[in-house]
This record gives sequence, structure tokens and C-alpha cells, in this order.
Amino acid sequence: MKGICGKLLEIDLTSGKTKTLPVKKELYEKYLGGRGLGIRLLYDMLPPKTDPLSPENLLFFLTGPLTGTYVTGSSKFVVVTKSPLTQGWCDSYSSGRISVEVKKAGYDGLVIRGRSNHPCYLRIDNKGVEIRDARLLWGKDSFETERMLKEMEKDSTVGVSSIGPAGEKLVKFACINSDLYRQAGRGGVGAVMGSKNLKAIVVKGDKSVETFDRKAIVDLNRQNYQLALKSPVAQARMKYGTPLTLNVTHVGGILPTMNFRFGTWEKALEKIDSIGVYKSLKRHKACLSCFIHCSLVTEVSEGKYKGISLEGPEYETLGIFGSNQLIDCLPVIMQANILCDKLGIDTISAGNIIAFVMECFEKELISSKQTEGLEIRFGDADASLAAVERMAMRQGFGDLLAEGVKAVANYVGNDSERFAMHVKGLEFPAYEPRGAFGSGLSYAVSPRGACHRRAWPPAKEILGGYPPYTIEGKAAMIKELYDENCVLHSLLVCDMPAKFVPMSLDVYSQYLHAASGESVSKEDFLKIAERIETLIRMFNNREGFTRKDDTLPYRTLNEPLPDGPAKGQFIGEENLNKMIDEYYALRGWDASGIPTEETLKRHQL
Amino acid sequence: MTIITNVFGTEFALKRPITLDLESPTLREVLAALQRHHEGPWRRILKEDLSLREGCVVLVNGRNIASLEKYETQIHDGDEITFTVLVAGG
Repeated sequence: MKGICGKLLEIDLTSGKTKTLPVKKELYEKYLGGRGLGIRLLYDMLPPKTDPLSPENLLFFLTGPLTGTYVTGSSKFVVVTKSPLTQGWCDSYSSGRISVEVKKAGYDGLVIRGRSNHPCYLRIDNKGVEIRDARLLWGKDSFETERMLKEMEKDSTVGVSSIGPAGEKLVKFACINSDLYRQAGRGGVGAVMGSKNLKAIVVKGDKSVETFDRKAIVDLNRQNYQLALKSPVAQARMKYGTPLTLNVTHVGGILPTMNFRFGTWEKALEKIDSIGVYKSLKRHKACLSCFIHCSLVTEVSEGKYKGISLEGPEYETLGIFGSNQLIDCLPVIMQANILCDKLGIDTISAGNIIAFVMECFEKELISSKQTEGLEIRFGDADASLAAVERMAMRQGFGDLLAEGVKAVANYVGNDSERFAMHVKGLEFPAYEPRGAFGSGLSYAVSPRGACHRRAWPPAKEILGGYPPYTIEGKAAMIKELYDENCVLHSLLVCDMPAKFVPMSLDVYSQYLHAASGESVSKEDFLKIAERIETLIRMFNNREGFTRKDDTLPYRTLNEPLPDGPAKGQFIGEENLNKMIDEYYALRGWDASGIPTEETLKRHQL
Repeated sequence: MTIITNVFGTEFALKRPITLDLESPTLREVLAALQRHHEGPWRRILKEDLSLREGCVVLVNGRNIASLEKYETQIHDGDEITFTVLVAGG
């Protein structure tokens, strides 16, 4: 099988020993790579109930069979571990040069265990791996860390992934940064890395990734590029990037506003939507090996934040730091984005926590006496930015914020958990589920917590023909979306070319054949996806998750949306339970969410 | 009657009011009127027979017409009609 290396590099930071971990071809056939390979390995190698911040937790950086083969959108990797935020399964995705360099260095990924007794970084190439002292890097932000490492290497093309101070301080939603503005954001993977005293990973490979039929890959890329040029969807994406999503979610009534209290915000328009961001555009940028250049590099041209520039902000940050906090000043959101990236925290979790605290202040459940004099109120840009710094550095009240919104709600009490917007401890992404009930199901049953990557239900409920405020057919809809994305995330390709060109699973079947020589049909892909999702469920069950954890916040279940097309809607516990019952049945799990014997046999688990 | 139109695509228009000389029209009648009598990117969104070009979607007051009465959806004075390309994620 071409396209894969058939091995991982295992590094034990306690002993300092490294070794090659062979991966049988059969595993790629049954699990593809990426998410699929990740769950198989994590399930087999991690003892149950391991403390996520202990040396015993495992940290995987995994690629897929298309990584490094020039398939469009294939320069991605996934970090797989047990999450310190949710205490369950965590798969956190990122673009980054490191994905390709790992493959070129001769590995399908890395598995890191143990804990170094002093700050260190890994330096990997085709000759081997060194565990180097990182005491000079410790305390530096991610941008400075990456800059210093590239300078030491005298090579700006090395792959670098690093954590900022937040990861060092074990902030529960710390992220891992790559190529400055790319993050494996969700679930606290940066804290796991920090708990191992691992500051960064530098990889430089010098072998080409061997493919079965490179000409076929190039031909497929050319064909799909021609389709993209003619596709109004791809063209709009390439022009406006993800901020265009904000205009749609506002019109559709699912834009999170004021800590998910409302679903629309007129003030966002022309300020923090696609028009607002486009006014700050410097240039477009593509990820390595992708012809959908959907990244926008922006710069502030005047005012207090003149000169700041970043790749972004993406829709999630605009929604969660913008409308969700009632901040309509784009430069402030850009500054928040930069701070989160440099200090190394997930913008989605951070922004949610701040919005929750804003509501607590509004309801007088918290006072500035508890926050070192900092009043954090809706619309207060300075307070929001100050809160970002404090939570990333665990300063004062920020030490509590660093534990996540669930922990903050526990501290505040007074029924505040009713508006702590999370599932399993992972804070909500920027889609209001009361305006699209399938989104609610998707968040509730997602194994990593409230997740917008497993499925994107607005495609069906706002932009498709599914009635948004009903439950009929939603379980099947979510399963279909989950399974398709599971394939993409196990092949480790970006969703965006798939959604925008569009490129179906049949097209990826062709890409996989061209890369590896293997024939896997769309039907085969979907069977593999079902196996992967059931194994992930088994992992979480083993960690103690039950059906009770597949739920939604009180606000989503009980409070009617006050505005927009979905005015008056809320999901309701009974509706959610019906959708979950159906979803479990479709998966072959019993009413408690436990895979049946027959399902295990069917999936060869 | 006046409708408020949004266009989200490579061309962009936000909350543009358009006055139509129609009474209690269906969406079909509104689209025909837009195509025939009003300046705008309608040809990029609609084919000659008023069907939508691939990748384009119409929302009436935030609801996809596919989950309403489709082209027979009744349009009222002040309704917001959004023509958008498909988007995803972010």
C-alpha cells in the first residue's frame, strides 16, 4: 500500500527512549488513518481512567493516507488524546506543514508518552529524533517559539507545532499552534502537551511520499480545480472565506448572540461579517497543497489596533467573540484572535467562557470583588481582552476561567449551569441549536463534546430542505453527516474542497486509489466510518460516559429563542430523547448508548 | 409591495429594498419580476426557467423555500428574500 509509511515514531519523554511502532496494513484497511487509526490506537494503548494530565496519557499526532501526496486539502493532521476538559475522547484537527514533514521523515505519525523532567522539544528528521532542552523557549508565546525554532534550524520550511504559555500552565482548553495561525484548538490538547513538559515539535523530512499513480492525482486535482473555478460556491468561499457563514447564520437565526440568548444580531452586519472582514483584507492564502485559498490575511488600517495582522478571523471567532459577547468592533476581535493564538488557547472555548461571565455579571451572580476589580460585561471590549490574558496565564480569577465553563458554573452556582453552554464540558461552537434541531442532536451525541466538525447540520436545515424545528429524520441526517465527515477526517483531508467544489466520497475513492493503489468504494468508506464511530463510543463508555452525558444545556432545551426565524423555538427534553433513541438505534447501540453484541460483530470489533 | 433582498455570493448585497408591482405574489412571480424588470445578479442565481443554479439557495425570512412551499411560497410586503450560495463551517 503506497501513501503510508507503515509506522509511527514513539517517544517516551520519561525515559528519553524512542522507537518505531510498526502499524499493520490491516489497520489502515479497517480504519484508514487520522481519526480512525487514532481511536484504534488510543483504545488499545491507553489504560482506562488515565488522568489526562498525567505522564501516562498518550498524545498522538497522526496523518492520513493522503497526507503528503499533493491531494488537494491534504496537509492536515489530527491530535488524538484523552481530553483534560471533558475526560473523554479528543480528536483535534489542524492544517500545518508538520503533517507533510512527518510523512517525509518516514512516519505516519508520532505517539508521545511520559513526561520530561524539564521543558523540552522534539527535533525529528529522517535520521532520527532528538529530545532537546527547551528551557529558553519555555514561557514564550507560540509565535515567538516558532520564529526562534525556525531561526535555529536556519530553515523556514520546517514543520513546527508548539504550545504557548497557556499549554505550559495546563489551561484546560489550551491549543497546539502550527504555522502561526493554525490550531489544533479543541479539547485541551495543548494542556496534554504542556503536562509532558513538551514545548514544541520540529520536523524536517527529506523523502518524497511514494504514491501509486502520481499522474492520476495531478489529473484529479486539475479536474477538480476546473470545477472550483466554475463553482459559485467555491468562488464565494475563495473570495470571502468563512466570514460569509456569519451572514447566513444571522439570516437563518442561528447566530449565537449574548451568550446564546438570541439568534440574530443586526449590529454584526457590515462590521464583523463577510463585508466587514473583507474591508480589512490584505491577501488570500491557501494551506499547503490546496487550491481553495479560503484563508484571509487581514490587517487593521487605523485606530487603536492599527497594524495588527493575522490569518483570520474565522467565522467561529467572529461569532463567539463578536455577537456572542455583543462586540461589533472587528479590530477587537482580531486582537482577541491574535492573543488566543499567541498565548495558545482555543478561541471557541475562551469566547464562550467570557460570554458566560458577562451574563453572570449582568445577573449579579459575580461581582468585580471576585475578579480583581475587572468588570466583564457584554460589549466591553477591553474587559474581554483582559479576560483572555488572565485565563491564558491563570492569573487571579483567570485561574478558575482556565478550567472551562462547566467549572466556572459550578463555582458560581445559583443555577448558572442553565446558561453554561457546553456539552460534556466542551463549549458550544457558533451555531444556535434552537434554530436547527439537528445541530442540537449533533452537539449532544458528539463524543468529544459540542462539536461543529463532526457534522454541519445547517447545510441541511438552513441551506437544505430539512425543516429546522422538527425532529423527524434528524437522527438519520446526523448519522449521514457524521459518517461522511468521519471518512474525510480519517483520510485527513480538509472538509472545504469536499463541500465547495464539491468533491464526493466517490472522488476521494479515486484519490485514495491514485495515492495508495487500494480500491475502497464509497460504501466501504461508510462501513469503515460506522466502525470508527462505534469504537469511539466504546472508548467513552469505558471512560465512564453514559447516555446522561448526551444532553444539552437547559437554555437550549427549555428557553424559547426570542428572535429571528426560529422565534419561540426550543428543543425540549422529550424531542432530544426521541432523536437520541433513533440515533442510537441507527448506530446499533442499545437504549443506553452501548453498542450491542451484534453491532460489535458486524464491525469486527 | 416592497421586499428586502440579500445576495450572498461573489457578488454581495445586503438589505436592498425592491419595490414590486405585485399583489400577494408567490415566490415564482417575485423571481420572474426580478429577472425581467430589476437590475441585479439574478442571471447568476436563476436559470431562464427560474430554477436555481447549482449551489444557490433561496431563503424567505430565513427559511429555505425547500422546507416551505417552494416556488409557491407566498410573499408578503416586507419579506426578506436571501439568495445565497452554499456555505459550510468556519
